[in-house]
Amino acid sequence: MFKLSLDPQTVKQWKRFRSIKRGYYSAVILVFLLCLSFFAELFINSRALIVSYEGKWFFPTYGKVIPGTTFGLDYDSKTNYKELKKLFKEQKEGNWVLMPLVPYDPFETHDAPVDDVLYTYGAEPPSWETQHYLGTDTLGRDILARIAYGFRIAMSFSLVLLVCSYVAGIAVGCAMGYWGGAFDLLFQRLIEIWNTIPFLYVIMIVSVVVSANFWTLVFVMVIFGWTAMTWNMRTSTYKEKSREYVNAARALGASNVRVIGVHILPNTISVIVTFIPFSIAGGIAALTALDYLGFGLQPPTPSWGELLRSGMQRLDHWWIVTSVAVAIIIVLLMVTFIGEAIREAFDPKKFTYYE
Amino acid sequence: MFVLTRLVPGGPLERALNEAAMAASDGTIGTSFEHTGPGGSTLSEDQMEQMAEYYQFDKNPFYGYVLWLGNICRFNLGYSTKYHKPVWDIIRSRLPISLFYGVATLILTYGVCIPLGIVKAIKHRTVFDNISSAVVFTGYAIPSYVVAIALLTLFASDAGLGLGWFPLSGFVSSDFGSLSPVGKVLDVLYHAVLPLIAYVAGSFAFMTMLMKNSLMDNLAADYVRTAIAKGLNFRTAIFNHALRNSLIPIATSFGNNLSLIITGSFLIETIFNIDGFGLLGFESLVDRDYPVVMGIIVISSLLFLLGNILSDICVAIVDPRVKFGADGSNQ
Repeated sequence: MFKLSLDPQTVKQWKRFRSIKRGYYSAVILVFLLCLSFFAELFINSRALIVSYEGKWFFPTYGKVIPGTTFGLDYDSKTNYKELKKLFKEQKEGNWVLMPLVPYDPFETHDAPVDDVLYTYGAEPPSWETQHYLGTDTLGRDILARIAYGFRIAMSFSLVLLVCSYVAGIAVGCAMGYWGGAFDLLFQRLIEIWNTIPFLYVIMIVSVVVSANFWTLVFVMVIFGWTAMTWNMRTSTYKEKSREYVNAARALGASNVRVIGVHILPNTISVIVTFIPFSIAGGIAALTALDYLGFGLQPPTPSWGELLRSGMQRLDHWWIVTSVAVAIIIVLLMVTFIGEAIREAFDPKKFTYYE
Repeated sequence: MFVLTRLVPGGPLERALNEAAMAASDGTIGTSFEHTGPGGSTLSEDQMEQMAEYYQFDKNPFYGYVLWLGNICRFNLGYSTKYHKPVWDIIRSRLPISLFYGVATLILTYGVCIPLGIVKAIKHRTVFDNISSAVVFTGYAIPSYVVAIALLTLFASDAGLGLGWFPLSGFVSSDFGSLSPVGKVLDVLYHAVLPLIAYVAGSFAFMTMLMKNSLMDNLAADYVRTAIAKGLNFRTAIFNHALRNSLIPIATSFGNNLSLIITGSFLIETIFNIDGFGLLGFESLVDRDYPVVMGIIVISSLLFLLGNILSDICVAIVDPRVKFGADGSNQ
């Protein structure tokens, strides 16, 4: 959209999008959250933000693991900053630790020594005291941390999925609309066949065969999901192809690639942009469903679907299911609001109702 | 033309699909054997060979595929490795439950969406329209399984925030057999309330907005204006003129519901533990019961094809311009 920002049409559409408050603010919030989630380590992490020890400052958030001996502790392994904070407070030697807002990472179980035996807590309700603001899940991991990191994974998953399947779908769709004829017919039939395959079910079958990680899951979902865009691209390319400016470009000797890339594609951009939010929502929903059923990303990856499942198994721990469900609902609602706003902004028929 | 192009690929369509499925199943069984192999398998070499012969792994894939296809044509989907019963029998025993939910969803969706869409189109930009739009969008944004989970935690669970009004899972109560006929009907309905809401929530929003938008497009069209200018009252103009035309897009999507009944349902069936087609598919996948998995794929793609044909028939009924074998004016 910004690439063409000099185009008055685009400016108009952008203005209209901004005038639709619900969609515009959803977009602002969602982008903000997404940026925030890429720096989630600064807010939700078991590593300290700043440690001041004997006049020296340490920033352990990013970078290598700092062994406990650095801070005068008696172990070589990863420093437990929560313990360190307590220790420094007790010592009162001017050393201090600044922890992130939520001092837990998504994999860390809630351990505490009970009578000298390390005891892992199960699900605990939300509490300000322990700084588990949304409670812990059945393995004692912080839910807020898991939701935040799960959001990052779900969003990046659906963005990657979006790019991959759109590239494939747009390429094939454009080619079908542009060349038409036998090529078009062949691909029409192929796509119809491809569409009869029950999407989620086949992905489940495949992920039984290959143990799924992020990239294999994207790959499989692109393979079975790229057809979604082809129909729309085919029709709009078909429409644009018969316009005079295409003839003019060809008369000037432009190659096929140039006609498609420089002349036709920019004119079909509205179709593409309109579908993006809905594809993102679909991607998140599909990944969560797969994770819920246990065919998605491998545990212990933080994911919403896995949280949903563990919450469903223990409905008496209501805070698990409630917080994840609310998170999913809010994010998907925002994405849908954005989608509606974009659709309205790109809709040339502004006043088509009966008066 | 349109109908023809849909019907003709029926043959190669199934074949390609089966091919894909067969490849998948070949791969899966291969790995499942690997799983049992090193893990201290209880099967001896002999038994493995026997099994391989039974499932025709000893022959080449293409031959096996042709054989399998031949069996499909005779409604022989093979034997389930878990239940030791013909796959077709298992699927048939689960089908009524899924069908019950499917048909009930269909009736509810169309029964609610079409009138609601009409009212929304007529009362465009009023308070009623805005409020119902908000509800509809919420339903649209949230996938049906999240709706199902939310409903379950709120209304079925009796722990935490739950109200415990409805049963947690299942199609009927455990004492179903001892109930009176009226009690049986009530019991099924009692169990069906939450799953049905979840089912309807998914397709509901789409249908309502489709109905509203297409009716509004038609209301703005010249022929409705002409009808009103001619002296018809608004009501007649809508119901006699605009409504029929605006049903065309609804009819186009009608057939898709047929496959939605089966494939869209397995998440909800898993959540509510309803012993239907979808849950069978999920369980057989977990248990690596491949003949059942294959059978389900075959049947759901057949249903999809059937749905496409059904859509075309519906369009032909509603839209007088479409004739079978005539030119494809609806392309």
